[in-house]
Amino acid sequence: MRTKGFFVLTVLLAIACKPPTPAEQMDTIVSWVSTARMVGDAWLRHTTPDKYTSQTLQQADQMLLQTGSELLKSLPPAIDSAAFDRALTSTRFNISEMSRFVEAKDASRFRQPWDSVLIYMKVMKDYSDKVESSR
Amino acid sequence: MKKILQLALGIITSVGGFLEVGSVTTAAQAGALFGYRLLWSILLGTLCLIFLVEMSGRLAAVSKHTVVDAMRERFGFPFFFIVLVGIVLVAFMVLVAELGGIGFGIQILTGVGFPWWAVPVSLLVWLLMWKGTFSLIENGASLLGLVTLSFLVAALRLHPDWSGVTSAFLPSMPSGDKAKYGFLTVSILGASISPYLMYFYSSGAVEDEWDRTYIPINRFIAGFGMIFGGVLSMAVLVVSALALQPKGIQVDTFPQAALMMTTALPRWGFYLFAFSMIFACFGAALEVSLAIAYFFSQGFGWSWSEDLEPSKNSRFAFIYTVIILLAAIPLVFGIDPIKVTMMSMALTSFTLPLAIVPFLLLMNDPIYLGKYRNGWISNSVVSIVVVISFVLALISIPLEIMGG
Repeated sequence: MRTKGFFVLTVLLAIACKPPTPAEQMDTIVSWVSTARMVGDAWLRHTTPDKYTSQTLQQADQMLLQTGSELLKSLPPAIDSAAFDRALTSTRFNISEMSRFVEAKDASRFRQPWDSVLIYMKVMKDYSDKVESSR
Repeated sequence: MKKILQLALGIITSVGGFLEVGSVTTAAQAGALFGYRLLWSILLGTLCLIFLVEMSGRLAAVSKHTVVDAMRERFGFPFFFIVLVGIVLVAFMVLVAELGGIGFGIQILTGVGFPWWAVPVSLLVWLLMWKGTFSLIENGASLLGLVTLSFLVAALRLHPDWSGVTSAFLPSMPSGDKAKYGFLTVSILGASISPYLMYFYSSGAVEDEWDRTYIPINRFIAGFGMIFGGVLSMAVLVVSALALQPKGIQVDTFPQAALMMTTALPRWGFYLFAFSMIFACFGAALEVSLAIAYFFSQGFGWSWSEDLEPSKNSRFAFIYTVIILLAAIPLVFGIDPIKVTMMSMALTSFTLPLAIVPFLLLMNDPIYLGKYRNGWISNSVVSIVVVISFVLALISIPLEIMGG
């Protein structure tokens, strides 16, 4: 009985101590890219303050940098890590451009990186599906 | 007529005071990750809360004792002290989370980080406690909290799939991420069944000099007030499920949560969310600070009343002053309020037996309640929910802590 309890506890701890899986990290990336897109959409409709919008975009950029660099170390072999890195860098570039144009209150120039983020959102969702299916 | 007014005010304040940082955060995370699937846990928590609030009001009306008074008298000081340590520690974490929630609400409006707001917000809470009366705190803050009704408006405007909503009232397991699902269930139950509400409510009933004639009013306030409040929590989950989940947005930070109403209420959604957080957390911060001061003062036999001058109530005033001051410190150093919120809600579930088991024993004691003691339905509902919360907390808290 005691051995069984110890076994269950060991299994639980082994599951619990694991770092976030690549699939979970991909979910985080998709979440932040979508956040950037949604906050940009709200800003274009003049429904969010400039400060909040630019801070959230900067936070999205930071989260992508952090999660992306961790994910690159553990990407499944089926995924081209160089291509993923390029996509992530471009996404981050567009998000930081969005933040810059929010601070400049330049809605017309904001639209271009905001449109690009929509494309990268789909790219990241595709990567997320690939990571999920390669589990 | 006076009692009808009290009834109406009681229900309104229950609704306005229901949502706080814990219920908003847990429901938003649940909706963003699992859609409607966790609605059942809000229903279960609300059901349990209805019984607990009704019991604490009944205890006060019949025995003229607050829950803490009766607990110390019935079980003795050594046992009471153990309960005090557990409950106060968790309530303190909840207070940190509530102050952080106010700071966050101001942060998204002004762009100035929440650590800068920790001290002014704590001072404001303290000032209201120092100068205010019980009815001002209970009614004023809760009436402002009625802005949280905007979550219900947002949910209705998003036209939820009602068959999906109703089927989510039955528990079901997701295909993946079961640890997170368990942790969120525990956190939602902890956010719904906050023991500090029992202490606050019974102390309020004694402050308002309730007697046996208030038993029907108490039943209505507990029933309708908590049901409407529970509906508000469900509305937060539904809004998050419809606005954030399809986009794959998880609520890891407050700024992400702030976007949830911008789909349903494009013009005002963001500001309504910010003000909902500020007012709901403000009301809850006052209630938690008061509940902690009540807990200490009633437990140690000191004089206590929010309606007395601090000079006539010095130890009571000292406790809330120190607690509010201490709660501001981690926020000044930038502790993540969302993590404190989630952990405090889960720990609330973990400590529920400590608060609820002695309370249930009291509620079945004929010395205190005579013919008004609990029936089997209330005993069963509360016991079952507390056991579920405790077991889930036992499993999912270590998983969440170690899994990050």
